[in-house]
Amino acid sequence: MTATAPAAPGPVARPARAPRSPWLPVALVLVVAATWWAADGIGFDVVELIASLGRANRIVSEAFPPNWGFVDQTIRPLIETFQMAVIATVIGCGIGLPVAMLASGISNPNRPLLWIDRSVLAVVRAVPDIMYALIFVSALSVGPLPGVLALILFNIGVIGKLLSETIDGIDPGPLEAATAAGGSRLLVNRWAVLPQVLPNYVAYALYSFELNIRASAVIGLVGAGGLGQLLQTQRRFFHYDNQLMIIVELFALVVVIEMISVWLRRRLV
Amino acid sequence: MTASVSQRPRRPAALGRNLAFLGVLLLLVVVVATIDLKLARLVDLPGQLASILGKMLLSPDTPYFGDAAALMVQSIQIAWIGTIMGAILSLPLGFLGAKNVTGGLMANGMRQLLNAIRAFPEIVLAIVFVAMIGLGPFAGTLAIGIHSIGTLGKLTAEVIEGIDPGPVEAARATGANQVQTLRWGVFPQVAPEIVAFWLYRFEINVRASAILGIVGAGGIGEALSQALVYRRYERAGMLIIVVVAATILIDVASGWLRRRIIEGGTKRGGTARRQPELIEVDPNVA
Amino acid sequence: MIRLERASVTYPGGVQALRELTLEIPDGQMLVIVGLSGAGKSTLIRAINGLVPLTGGDLTIDGRSVVRASTRELREIRSKIGMIFQTFNLVRRTSVLNNVLMGRLHDAGTLRSLLGAYRAEDVELAMRALERVGIVDKAYVRASNLSGGQQQRVGIARALAQEPKIILADEPVASLDPPTSHVVMRDLQRINRELGITTIVNLHFLDLARRYGDRMIGMRGGELVYDGTGEAADEQVFRDIYGRSLTADDVLEAQAAV
Repeated sequence: MTATAPAAPGPVARPARAPRSPWLPVALVLVVAATWWAADGIGFDVVELIASLGRANRIVSEAFPPNWGFVDQTIRPLIETFQMAVIATVIGCGIGLPVAMLASGISNPNRPLLWIDRSVLAVVRAVPDIMYALIFVSALSVGPLPGVLALILFNIGVIGKLLSETIDGIDPGPLEAATAAGGSRLLVNRWAVLPQVLPNYVAYALYSFELNIRASAVIGLVGAGGLGQLLQTQRRFFHYDNQLMIIVELFALVVVIEMISVWLRRRLV
Repeated sequence: MTASVSQRPRRPAALGRNLAFLGVLLLLVVVVATIDLKLARLVDLPGQLASILGKMLLSPDTPYFGDAAALMVQSIQIAWIGTIMGAILSLPLGFLGAKNVTGGLMANGMRQLLNAIRAFPEIVLAIVFVAMIGLGPFAGTLAIGIHSIGTLGKLTAEVIEGIDPGPVEAARATGANQVQTLRWGVFPQVAPEIVAFWLYRFEINVRASAILGIVGAGGIGEALSQALVYRRYERAGMLIIVVVAATILIDVASGWLRRRIIEGGTKRGGTARRQPELIEVDPNVA
Repeated sequence: MIRLERASVTYPGGVQALRELTLEIPDGQMLVIVGLSGAGKSTLIRAINGLVPLTGGDLTIDGRSVVRASTRELREIRSKIGMIFQTFNLVRRTSVLNNVLMGRLHDAGTLRSLLGAYRAEDVELAMRALERVGIVDKAYVRASNLSGGQQQRVGIARALAQEPKIILADEPVASLDPPTSHVVMRDLQRINRELGITTIVNLHFLDLARRYGDRMIGMRGGELVYDGTGEAADEQVFRDIYGRSLTADDVLEAQAAV
């Protein structure tokens, strides 16, 4: 750099303080107001909360230590939870693939079809899995079958959303090439879209398996099989030590499955 | 190099892929063979579903709308307080869990703690809190709040670890202390993303709080499960319609707000910023 | 024979990319199109295989109208037209062979293709196409592991696997370095001469256009401003096409020297 510094210009008026975004204080006020309203609505009271936590002593001492002897009776439901998750993941992810392709403007240029698929997906996703379980239990009575059906719907929602968003972001070039070569829509998606998103698809499938393990434990609370159903029975009889045992197992299962799934996913993407 | 260019190569064996495929297939076969699904019941499913859904959707209990809406409002309130709780408490924990803020040991320990919290589904936490402090929205709020600390804390830590180290270095170079560096070097970079995550968490929490009533933790879930157990499908239909409508409405509003926040961050920050991968936080469960 | 009659394209935003263009391209010709970016070169190329629909006029290939073709007919027309892209448009995550087999999609049978169980004839065609561009040894390599020049040759092989009567190339060398550009252009020229495939190439660089084209047309603002041989194009012609005198930016050899 040989150039000398430019000659100092005459004094420039300093700008006034940059105007702060006018939305920030508005947003803060709104948040505080909403919190006030919500806390009032549910009768939230910190003093009361601490007092009732203090009274929880009896329950805690009944629950601790967990009843290790109860493990025998948990093995079958534990396996059932795992089985439900495997079946639901395979079927749900299988159906989820075409649903996701129909839900992205890249792989589905048909606007009305796109709109219908996205709307159905939004409704499917807006219903919590346990609500599906309630409905299916009501229709088929208790057992793992309604649980599997509920999880399948849940998986379609997960895969449909995550994968269609991934498809939205892929390179459209190969699609143009495959279309230019005279490929039908189906084959264009098979050869220009699927290979681009395959690692993500497998990763999402693993992820939804992970979610299924958690969910299949939970939906049992309404009678849809697995560990949750056992937990619900123990709740009815106020066996706190047995309940804690189930929760400990659930925790271990979730952690182990997540560790395996994260490890696999990291190798994939 | 003896092979000429025109030599066609042999098709390589895709051993790993085939093995993985076979493994999954084998697992599926074993599972299907060992589980007792009572598939015969599926025969009744279409008829049953048609009758149930018909009552739910074609003749919902419209006079019940007011009560259903009031219960949904309580669910939303539970979700809101739970989210606020999670947001406030997860922020410091997230900073402590970021490797580029605290040392490796502290960050690792905090991450393990956050992961452990996250591993309990909301409804399991709700069962615990209902047992401890009794039935009602209190238990649900605590369940949502605690679970949110786990998920939000982890995400906060991840976002912080992904920041551009430049401004942090610059702040340190001017002699700023640790807190000043965090406030002026780190926080401005991560604020939009973290606020967007809070909003996203709120969306998830609305779904979660809508079902917590099943174990007596407040909100619309209890009425819904009662209606279905006692086969009052018209009433259940009204409740489900309210849940789905409220959920979609909140999703749309919050999604719009999140995009505004993230894009605002891009405009000021200059560098294009993608919303972080949401794979770790999917609605319904997590 | 490709025939455009008063062909116009107006994009939804109101941009007129083609203005009443009339043009005839006889079979077996190597036609090079030059012009600034935005002159309508890409639109013209994509109008020929119907990727961009005309908004006015007509375009026929061997007497069949592309404009009035049904979806099925359009697929059939496209199956006989190979296309080569500036950014190669390969699926980078899959093998070279799978990319080339995309050229067989129109004829491979839906179920077979879905499962990846291609007929031996289709694989044979793909392999021969790869042999023609000299990279058959890479057949089972992932496309992302190839250099730019190799990727473009896969793109050419994909087009050849269609057994096309026409090849459209949209700025095929714009992403390549000068020596590789010549290799790819020579490949295209060889294919044109040996197989008699009508070849239409968009080019930015004038020296490449003059060297490889049987015929050169110049476009500006969606209209034809030159139609003749490369040699006959003088300084005035360039001014008509580019709206200014020739500069170093318009010549590949000058680029190489920089």
